[in-house]
Amino acid sequence: MDNKNKVLEAKNISKSFGEVKALKKVDFDLNKGEIHGLLGENGAGKSTLMNILYGLYKEDEGEIYIRGEKVDFKSPLDSIQKGIGMIHQSSTLVPEFTALENLILGTEGNKMSLELKDAEEKILKTQKDFGLKFPLNTKVKNLPAGIKQKVEIIRAIYRGANILILDEPTTSLVEDEFEQLLKSLRLMVDEGVTIVFITHKIREVLQACDRASVLTDGVMQGTLDTTKASKEDLVNLMFQNQEIDITDSALPVIDLPEVKQTEEPILSLKNLSAKSKEKDGTDLKSINFDIYGGEILGIAGISGNGQKELAEVLIDPNNITEGEIILSGEKINGMTTNQIFDRNVFYIPEDRKKEGILGLGNIKDNVLLGHQHEKRFQSNGLISWDKVKSQTKEVIDEYKVKTPDEKQQIGKLSGGNIQRVIIGRALINELDLLVTHSPTAGLDMASVEFVFNRLVELRSKGAAVLYINEDLDELMQVSDRIGVIHEGELVDIFKQDEFDKYEIGSKMIGG
Amino acid sequence: MAVEENVIEEKSNWQKIWDGVKPYILALVIAFGVSGIIIGLLGYNVIKAYQTLLLTSFTSQRGIIETLKKFIPLTFATYAFAIPFKIRFFNIGGWGQMLFGGIFTAIAGIALSGLNLPSYIFIPILIIVAMAAGAFLALIAGALKAYYNINPIISTIMLNFIAFYTVNFVATTEPWKAPLSGHPMTIELPGAAILPKMFDELHIGIFIVLIVIFLIYFLMNRTVLGYEIMATGMNPNASSVYGIKMKKTLMLTFIIAGAMAGLGGGIEVMGVHKRLIEGFAQTSGAQYGIFGILTALICQGNPLGVPLSSIFISILLVGADAMQRTLQVPVELVFLTQALIVLMIVVLRRKAGGGYIE
Repeated sequence: MDNKNKVLEAKNISKSFGEVKALKKVDFDLNKGEIHGLLGENGAGKSTLMNILYGLYKEDEGEIYIRGEKVDFKSPLDSIQKGIGMIHQSSTLVPEFTALENLILGTEGNKMSLELKDAEEKILKTQKDFGLKFPLNTKVKNLPAGIKQKVEIIRAIYRGANILILDEPTTSLVEDEFEQLLKSLRLMVDEGVTIVFITHKIREVLQACDRASVLTDGVMQGTLDTTKASKEDLVNLMFQNQEIDITDSALPVIDLPEVKQTEEPILSLKNLSAKSKEKDGTDLKSINFDIYGGEILGIAGISGNGQKELAEVLIDPNNITEGEIILSGEKINGMTTNQIFDRNVFYIPEDRKKEGILGLGNIKDNVLLGHQHEKRFQSNGLISWDKVKSQTKEVIDEYKVKTPDEKQQIGKLSGGNIQRVIIGRALINELDLLVTHSPTAGLDMASVEFVFNRLVELRSKGAAVLYINEDLDELMQVSDRIGVIHEGELVDIFKQDEFDKYEIGSKMIGG
Repeated sequence: MAVEENVIEEKSNWQKIWDGVKPYILALVIAFGVSGIIIGLLGYNVIKAYQTLLLTSFTSQRGIIETLKKFIPLTFATYAFAIPFKIRFFNIGGWGQMLFGGIFTAIAGIALSGLNLPSYIFIPILIIVAMAAGAFLALIAGALKAYYNINPIISTIMLNFIAFYTVNFVATTEPWKAPLSGHPMTIELPGAAILPKMFDELHIGIFIVLIVIFLIYFLMNRTVLGYEIMATGMNPNASSVYGIKMKKTLMLTFIIAGAMAGLGGGIEVMGVHKRLIEGFAQTSGAQYGIFGILTALICQGNPLGVPLSSIFISILLVGADAMQRTLQVPVELVFLTQALIVLMIVVLRRKAGGGYIE
């Protein structure tokens, strides 16, 4: 009877990339009409397994059965025909097309004209059925990430998917959106759709899933019935081979030690307005705040409300239209990034691959980035690679970067290890101010804890930290105060004893 | 246990080297194979043709000197493309920048001829003039990109034409033009402006090129500017976030590139022709500036690879001339081989997941 119920079975799947074994003899199956969580840390092989089921990668060995029939996918075209749809972490929509155009793209290939009307009605019905509302005639590039995801889900369903793979669907969602998504997924399941929900957050698995499988280091640790299992069961499965201190919370608990704050603020923004560097960015409007030494100021807000602009104007204050930035008593308007870095400031950008590292370079090249003008890495005015090398080794040791050596290409490391290098680089010098934007995005729990500890250490040393993050839970863990940014304005600042998810959340959406 | 790990490490290092070299060897084999078939089909003796092509450079003193004489300007032209290529800009203007270097070397050489400067002052002055002239032309393209976002491919090609016709203008206009000459050329530069010969026809430009090879290596690997060029090439976004100024880096790479090409042109004027003459920066009927693009693509713009791929192409060029002379195999067939090599390297490196060109 069981077998009738299995819509998908993967047996003994192995896959290597070069010398790295991404999957080791993995078994995986899906029951009809379930939400199946796939849980694991970064680099555990979750995406690899799903990409194989979707036909993007070819397994080295193993077999895949869809509804009892053996399949051999050569490309996603084959898997789509078998009713598999995958929603990737990054959008695969055509930005210049409207949502509707994206939805029908590729589905009406045999007709000379696009029958938009029929399609539109069908899509409107699907939207209504599953509670996934979005404007059909807006260009996708103008839609926020959360909506794009809805478009992608509808697209998969519209193309006849009945097995839906969602790769970390919650990374760009706020709490509200997550609950909405969950409702929609439930409606789909009621219609017989089977859903794979990839995540590294235990909380989400317990909230969203019927069953959950746990992958670590390419090995399938087992599958649990989440309606019966507890958080401890999942944690045990995830970490049974590791000695990691697991706390009860989904996030590592951090105690902020008593620190004497400086009398004068390290950073003051006085009525600061600045133009965004990007065409569709958000301009900053009359922002006022101070950060004192020994303080972490969190900045909360829904993505795209001026966070990136705020971070960038601090390290490159050249688009200021009004007001001033005072750093340790000195006005820094118009200074270059190098001049500001010379004043014991460093920056950890939001998008680590795009803005944080030289992916093609080795770890040494990357440790030097932002420090290239500093005397400590030079001798007689020339770069001393010996000095860079020994500093790099220190970073690797101190921050426990998992790498064969300092000559390893950084782009090939996992996200957590890349972030360790980025943080190590930021903390080479004694800092007065660290500006950091979502430093924990996409990291597993151990790495998140690592990042938190570093921020708190920095705070204990008397530095000021500007900590921008879209994840309110994380902000509340480590911030002394939380400022809320909305449409380029700093709408409110909450003190630690006033932290309230609902209050802050409503400010985030402009309430 | 530890020993075993070391062995594995070493093995994978050799593997890495092999992975790096493999596309080149394969590219050569395929390119020579395909051109061999064509040469054969056209009725020539393939083995003899290849013998001539590859060995002429080594079989006589004259061959060696000819090869080095091509190696000098070709290396400069190759740097002219390779350095902006590091930050993913295409300087198609090496050709024009080289001509500009030659033009102003001749103009300055003629203008200063009355001063009776000694060689050790005259030649350095002309070297600086040549570099400045090439750098100036390249900077126009760099600045147009930096401030008006005009694609350097377009601007450098246009500037090439300006340089090309400026050669004709200078070579046919008083006071520079040589009287009673059918071909556009200027009068000869004074003796003190001519690069001394060392062996036979080989002038001291070979030393200049060796010094430049060293300096460029040094620039790219040990200076902050070199690091910033490399970083910008790897990721312009991250580089600008961490304080590297894109516009400055862009213009500096074009200035260096133009200076290289200009110096190459000046050395051709001072060392080979002793005057500005139409076609002074050509070999086998094509501009060094064009070969430079090809040569730079072979080494994927790697500054260490520039001299290697320059010497390789120089050998082919000398061999091609000899092949045409002795076997009547058209020189164009060698160009075809070169183009095939470049194509195959690009394809094979791409397949291996590396390579610059996207």
